[in-house]
Amino acid sequence: MSQSKFNFTTKTVVAIGIGAALYGLLGSISIPVFTQTALRPAIAILTIFGAMFGPVVGLLSGAIGHIITDLIWGGGTIWWTWVAGSAISGLGMGLVFMKSSFHVNEGRAAKADLWFLGIVGSLAMAIGYGFSSVLDIYLYGEPPVKMFAQFLWATGANVIVHLVLGVPAVAGLISRNRKNSNLTVLK
Amino acid sequence: MSKSGMLYVDKDTLFHRMDGAAKLIVFAVWTVIVFLFQDLRVFVPLFAIGLILLFLAQIPYKRIRLLVWIMVVFNLFNSIFTLLITPSYGSEVTGTATVVLDLGYNVLTLETCFYVLTLTMKYMSLMPITVLFIFTTHPTRFASSLNRIGVPYKIAYAFNIAFRYVPDLQTEFRNISNAMQARGMGFGKGEGSMRDRVKHFISIAIPLVQSSLHRIEVVSNAMDLRGFGRHQKRTWYSATAWRRADYIIAALSVVAILAAIAVRLSGFGRFWYPFS
Amino acid sequence: MTEPIISFKNFSFQYRSLSEPTLKDINLDIFPGEKILIAGPSGSGKSTLAHCINGLIPFTYTGTISGEYQLKGKRPDELSIFEISRTVGTILQDQDGQFIGLSVGEDVAFAYENECMPTSDMKARVESALGVVDMLPYMEHSPHDLSGGQKQRVSLAGVLSMDVDVLLFDEPLANLDPASGKHAMELMEELHQQHKQTMIIIEHRVEDVLEQPIDRIIVMSEGRIAAVGTPDELLASSVMHEHGLREPLYISALKYAGVRFQAEDHPSKLTELSRRADVQEKLRTWLDDGDRGMNIETAAPLVSMKQVRFSYDGEEDVIQGLSLDIGQGERIALLGNNGAGKSTLSHLLTGIVKPSAGEIYFRDERINKWSIRRRGKHIGYVMQNPNHMITQQMIKDEIALGLRMKGLPTDVVQEKVEETLRICGLYGYRDWPITALSYGQKKRVTIASILAMEPELMILDEPTAGQDYKHYTEFMDFIVDLADRGMSFLFITHDMHLALEYTDRAFVLHDGACIAQGETSNVLTNVAAIQQANLKETSLGVLAREAAIDAPEAFVRRFIQHERKGRRS
Repeated sequence: MSQSKFNFTTKTVVAIGIGAALYGLLGSISIPVFTQTALRPAIAILTIFGAMFGPVVGLLSGAIGHIITDLIWGGGTIWWTWVAGSAISGLGMGLVFMKSSFHVNEGRAAKADLWFLGIVGSLAMAIGYGFSSVLDIYLYGEPPVKMFAQFLWATGANVIVHLVLGVPAVAGLISRNRKNSNLTVLK
Repeated sequence: MSKSGMLYVDKDTLFHRMDGAAKLIVFAVWTVIVFLFQDLRVFVPLFAIGLILLFLAQIPYKRIRLLVWIMVVFNLFNSIFTLLITPSYGSEVTGTATVVLDLGYNVLTLETCFYVLTLTMKYMSLMPITVLFIFTTHPTRFASSLNRIGVPYKIAYAFNIAFRYVPDLQTEFRNISNAMQARGMGFGKGEGSMRDRVKHFISIAIPLVQSSLHRIEVVSNAMDLRGFGRHQKRTWYSATAWRRADYIIAALSVVAILAAIAVRLSGFGRFWYPFS
Repeated sequence: MTEPIISFKNFSFQYRSLSEPTLKDINLDIFPGEKILIAGPSGSGKSTLAHCINGLIPFTYTGTISGEYQLKGKRPDELSIFEISRTVGTILQDQDGQFIGLSVGEDVAFAYENECMPTSDMKARVESALGVVDMLPYMEHSPHDLSGGQKQRVSLAGVLSMDVDVLLFDEPLANLDPASGKHAMELMEELHQQHKQTMIIIEHRVEDVLEQPIDRIIVMSEGRIAAVGTPDELLASSVMHEHGLREPLYISALKYAGVRFQAEDHPSKLTELSRRADVQEKLRTWLDDGDRGMNIETAAPLVSMKQVRFSYDGEEDVIQGLSLDIGQGERIALLGNNGAGKSTLSHLLTGIVKPSAGEIYFRDERINKWSIRRRGKHIGYVMQNPNHMITQQMIKDEIALGLRMKGLPTDVVQEKVEETLRICGLYGYRDWPITALSYGQKKRVTIASILAMEPELMILDEPTAGQDYKHYTEFMDFIVDLADRGMSFLFITHDMHLALEYTDRAFVLHDGACIAQGETSNVLTNVAAIQQANLKETSLGVLAREAAIDAPEAFVRRFIQHERKGRRS
């Protein structure tokens, strides 16, 4: 099927829902690095779903998925400011989908596209979590210096997950889907 | 959580009978009011009212114990973190400094302690209303309520899909991870180097994502075959009609938000520090 | 007859991504009110034909169409998928995929919601649709509280609610246990009697479908229609066998015994043949021809469970004092309906859960406390769906995964991988990416990846699910070869045929307790245990009883002997 950029098909709706469910489900899991610090692998789901289905799916599965994580683990509060951060991150991860040389399902991607995914996705997270932090300052009255520290930590950790788990997983999916021509049964 | 992953507690109270959209309006208004102020004299009453409402909704403490603990732990860490990083922030806001402790790199002031207390109560005052909404609204009502307050139905329906498949995906995730462990993979501490553990994580993620992609295809086919997305609108089986209580509460919410904005504009509600 | 409701003329279809057409030169008319079975092995094009009928082709899957297809006299491109869905209602194979709602009522109402029917009008209609499929008491239930068969009924109600002319069932039996499958077929027949809709059933499990009346069978093979006829006509011929379909077991038995029959003898009705004196005579002679007794020596137990109990919540025991031995090199079937405790038992063996009482031994060592990883070195576990296990891109790496995890040196890993590839018949594919393999080959890769770890016992969860007869036989013969090398196998299955032909002993679980065990042919002719466990008696047992043969288990054994001889030669 031809790939339409913003068309809200049934498949888009389902992709948002399943992406959100996965992001929400994995939101509770973390890989412990040192004490009290953890990497949240869920971010890689946004990388994968963004790259496969585009910015709209990335944005909405980021937002809905974050809400679902908060419903279960949010301590009775939905952290709206960080929902916005996840949404913006998902949107950024999806931008690579707009490039015509990039198509995960058909196994097509230029090397530059993966760089694009890595860099634009990281930038989107910096913008997204920056936005969350600013909102925290204005809406909750959190001290700016503290939020800056939190912003650095959240962005740093998530960029690592995006680059170490997310982008390689997308690259893996692409090479899996690459057309396998000239396969012969060996002796 | 029950087997289906539902948080909903089945009771018959005013909040359970209320339409989801009306509850969403209350929830939104409450949240905006909390955002508007930075005053303990607003948060303490809000928190108290919230607790009374929770009590009236007959939600057993057992069901929300985990959430309460998460909230307590969060507030504790957030407070300590704030006190350590910005020990004199409260003084910047009030312009006065009552030193409590000399930390060497900075001084901790009473203003900051009170600021952190205010912040904690701000978070706490959001909790009861959120819990009330989550635990008295059946998941089937959620999407229709969102649609009623103006969210396009296709986006609202994505919530339904997510709620529907979280438990299925959880089972699948568990099965895959068990099978991987039986093949010798470890995920916890001390089971391989950091690099190995990351690799193992990808190993679970790949089959999970692959089968999710398959699921997306099957589910969207099933929905297409039953006419999803045919019209600009859709109706909802689980939608309820608005009753008098819903209208009254929605009207009260609008009054409350207007009043809060008026009060805030008059200058009341910035950080309140009683000891200056 | 009237105008056909579905009509294909010289119809061919080629998916956009494939280089060959999947459907070739299809000519087929289906008339209103017919009940049709479309049968064929995997890759025969039967699912593609179903996609053409329900509009997924051309609206979701694109490709090149030549020739003509008409639904109620209209070409699909004159319609939309929504209009088609009002004529053709589809019940998909994947019950969880089709059950979209968060409650039973909501799911049935899904089509009404999309049609913008006022909420107040829906309730009564949903109730009546649920009444038809006998699911009314479950209206408020969530899908997670229902069995596969119940979910399928809800999906059926959801489709019936649309008042369609054609009901299309895509492999309705694939994910159901035998009793639920039988139930589903009965319900379909009941609906057909009452509403006279056209019914199209896509299935390769011919025997189970033919327990209820069918008007015509269409056999597909390699994208073409290979044969069309009434059940009697096709059963009397050898068409099914030739095209890789499993005939009903009793038909095979009759043919082995040298009974000749024509369509006029109504072979689709077992009792009509079994009552005839000449048939009974032939069956007896055939039975006496066989060698008596197939003694199984009891091997020393490799794994044994003694009085094992387990409970998830500390109150209700899911496994109730279960004892069983698995001998070296034995092939054992673990049978039971859904919810009998089969998966819990396998979790106990693999260490995913630990028993609350009782002992588990591996050889002479007590392994109650062993972790999943430690047991994984001796007890391998293969999941039902290979896609849930495969993590690597290349076959070699997938098989090497567990070995590398053990920390073996590279050259040892390589050597073992090559050996495993040879044993599993995958050596020629060693440099292939896994995505290029068929479902059955992927299944082999998952077995190989466990086999490479050299476990002494392998647990296979529903190993033949989703495979047609030809692939199934190939796959199981491969397992038999492995068993001959001394490995033990435990098959968790509700496939009676698999148990019958490929296992030495069987355990029947019911409510967490073992209600029958012993030689498979004895267990499967134990009518009381089979009924209690919600399983289904094989048609061989029925044939033996109806033909007044004294020892049905001997008859079943004779049949297996014959089949095994046939396969080996």
